[in-house]
Amino acid sequence: MATTPLVSMRGISKVYPDGVKALENVDFDLYPGEVHSLLGENGAGKTTLMRILYGEIRPSSGKIIVEDREVKWSGPWDAIRAGIAMVYQHFRLVETLTVEENLLIYLSSLGLNRAEARSRVEEAMERLGLEVPLVARVGDLPMGVRQRVEILKAISGGAKVLILDEPTSNLTPLEVEALFSVVERLKSLGVSVVYITHKLWEVTRISDRITVLRRGRVVATLKNDGVSEEELARLMVGELAEQGGRGARRKPGKAALTVRNLRVLVDGVERLKGVSLTVREGEILGVAGVAGNGQEELVAAILGLLKPVEGEVLLWGKPVRSPRDFYKLGGGIIPGDRSQILAAEMSVGENAAFIFYTGSRKIALTPGEVEALYREIKDRFHLVAPGPDAPVGRLSGGNQQKVVVGSEVLRGPKLLVAVNPTQGLDIATTRFVRGLLSDLASQGVAVLLVSADLDEVLELSDRVVVMSGGRITGELARGDATPEKVGVLMGA
Amino acid sequence: MPIEAGDLAALTVMAFTAMVPITLTAIGEIVGEKAGVVNIGLEGIMLLAAWTAVAAYFLSGGSHIAGYTAGLAIGLLLGLLHGVIVVYLKGDQIVSGVGLNLFAAGATVVGTLALWGNYANSPPVDVPQFIEIAGQRVSPLVPLTILMGVAVWLFLNKTVAGLRLRSVGDDPRSAEAMGVNVYRVQIAAAAFAGAMAGLSGAYLSIDYIGSFTKMITAGRGFIALANVAFSGWNPLLALLGGFIFGFFEALAGFAKLQLEATAESYLLQSIPYVATLIAVALVSRKGRMPRWLGRPYVKE
Repeated sequence: MATTPLVSMRGISKVYPDGVKALENVDFDLYPGEVHSLLGENGAGKTTLMRILYGEIRPSSGKIIVEDREVKWSGPWDAIRAGIAMVYQHFRLVETLTVEENLLIYLSSLGLNRAEARSRVEEAMERLGLEVPLVARVGDLPMGVRQRVEILKAISGGAKVLILDEPTSNLTPLEVEALFSVVERLKSLGVSVVYITHKLWEVTRISDRITVLRRGRVVATLKNDGVSEEELARLMVGELAEQGGRGARRKPGKAALTVRNLRVLVDGVERLKGVSLTVREGEILGVAGVAGNGQEELVAAILGLLKPVEGEVLLWGKPVRSPRDFYKLGGGIIPGDRSQILAAEMSVGENAAFIFYTGSRKIALTPGEVEALYREIKDRFHLVAPGPDAPVGRLSGGNQQKVVVGSEVLRGPKLLVAVNPTQGLDIATTRFVRGLLSDLASQGVAVLLVSADLDEVLELSDRVVVMSGGRITGELARGDATPEKVGVLMGA
Repeated sequence: MPIEAGDLAALTVMAFTAMVPITLTAIGEIVGEKAGVVNIGLEGIMLLAAWTAVAAYFLSGGSHIAGYTAGLAIGLLLGLLHGVIVVYLKGDQIVSGVGLNLFAAGATVVGTLALWGNYANSPPVDVPQFIEIAGQRVSPLVPLTILMGVAVWLFLNKTVAGLRLRSVGDDPRSAEAMGVNVYRVQIAAAAFAGAMAGLSGAYLSIDYIGSFTKMITAGRGFIALANVAFSGWNPLLALLGGFIFGFFEALAGFAKLQLEATAESYLLQSIPYVATLIAVALVSRKGRMPRWLGRPYVKE
């Protein structure tokens, strides 16, 4: 390893106008040709730190030194011209254009003409050993290939530092392996990689060095040299993260939700190609799969929001044709996106009441009832909020999720459809929500867990079905469901 | 009523002269919409430009160049105004466009009264002489319109700048991340769309019709919008669409000359509009619409 860092960030702090301290006095060094992981929980400040390096956010204090010169970015393009590129979790590619056109837009921003851009791309493909279909429309490509396009884009633009933000979140296990070999290749070419993640095994697998962030501070910077995942978890969370226990289960009861040979068209495209599944009382059925393989449509069809062209959805044997039927027959939903169900500017109490009284025949609501509902959520679900009248949008993501989950669970559904229930939550809340789902199943509630987080599905489910390309590609029993087996089915 | 070969030739030439405002405006609007900015105020821009062109013609002592320049300039300014309202101020694109239409409808009447002392029309303008084909006068804007269609097609599909513009209309966030100045591109595209509508308006009054009359545009701005959809955002197809609409307009005018009746003549005037409706209904190209069309882009 070279003795002088390529990039050195010293005493970086970021305080937002509302007083939130995102980063406090962070030091971060990046050496040429190293893979440096930034590990931390959601909200630990990893992405914020890198967006500062990338020029998207201005630090409140501290300095950035690149190749021995202090720099002050006025925007990402200053960073890109200095050889620092960032690949976001959500790719920044125009889906309607071809790969080549996207690369041309980017490289023309760097002052290259068409011919120069083409030779740069060819050169970069050769150096990286990467083949991407240049004439294909980006929207037609799988996520793994799009990510390669992003990396190719950065390298052909002359990047010496590549920041990858949660790069495996949308990939299948096979694509993850392919990414790792690209990272190895980058390293051998002398490119420095910053790898942002909260997944421990990835960190131990890929990094040269690891910096752990917790609540905006660096807790440790260590060499990846015999570091255990347990040790990293302890550093990340501040206490030993134990796996959420699963309550004792009863024997599964009657079939609660039955989906029979469901076929759904959206804008003429067949999104569900004959899906069948059954969730019984007292069990958790997990639906695993890379996002966008029909899970969203499956949930919408179960709720009665999408009309199938074939097949049916039954709750305790009765057909669901509208959300009204779904609620009347005892269904409940924790939607994948909180913002879809919460009205950010309305109060916590009002939002809770909306959810709690869904399907109710109640005509009038007194402030007392709202207050009582709020108290109950606060007590039972450890909600931290200034009061029932505070706008729900002011709460943290974890507490917003508690409002959603709490109101829905208190309503007492007999079947609960939970979509990515812990997405974007900190470890403590994640554990709480997972424990709650497990408890509900023990109490006899049927739970359909649809989650892009494979660990979550494997931890909670009694049975796992895998979705790929609008079909169920396999079903695995609890003991049998390993990441490898599920991974194969995800790509099937 | 027999139609002779000479009539057919005349009809074709008339179709070419009638297509200019609908086509030129559509071509400009394709550029605007490819950058994500929709302007349903084109009708209003054309109307104001038509009035301004005649006013400038008279004030300059009878210069068509002055009239055209003034029409183009007012169109450009109004396009720019629309751009600033929707791009920087995040105004609703439809509301801003409707505002332009309403403002133009009122302002041109007041302007006509102020300059020419009546509510209805300006004194006649000497129409410019260029060439004559099949006994019909052909304006220089006819070849210009066709050239513009080809040029804009080349710009959008064959140049890097055109590619960058298209990326803005489809996915402004990604475009911005790839170094495209989204706001600047949108403002420029909106200004170009306005300028083309302005040129069309000037053509209508000081060239095609030969005076300014109240509501001279008669919905051509809206037909141009229909033509944009009809063409599937392709300037070459917009030339074809414009010719078809122009043909029906010419046919209606032609038939009106042949028939003496009055009630039927009003019915005939509806032909171009009915044809527009049918054409747009038949040719629906949903898939090609710029993805971010009409939505404000807010930076993070």
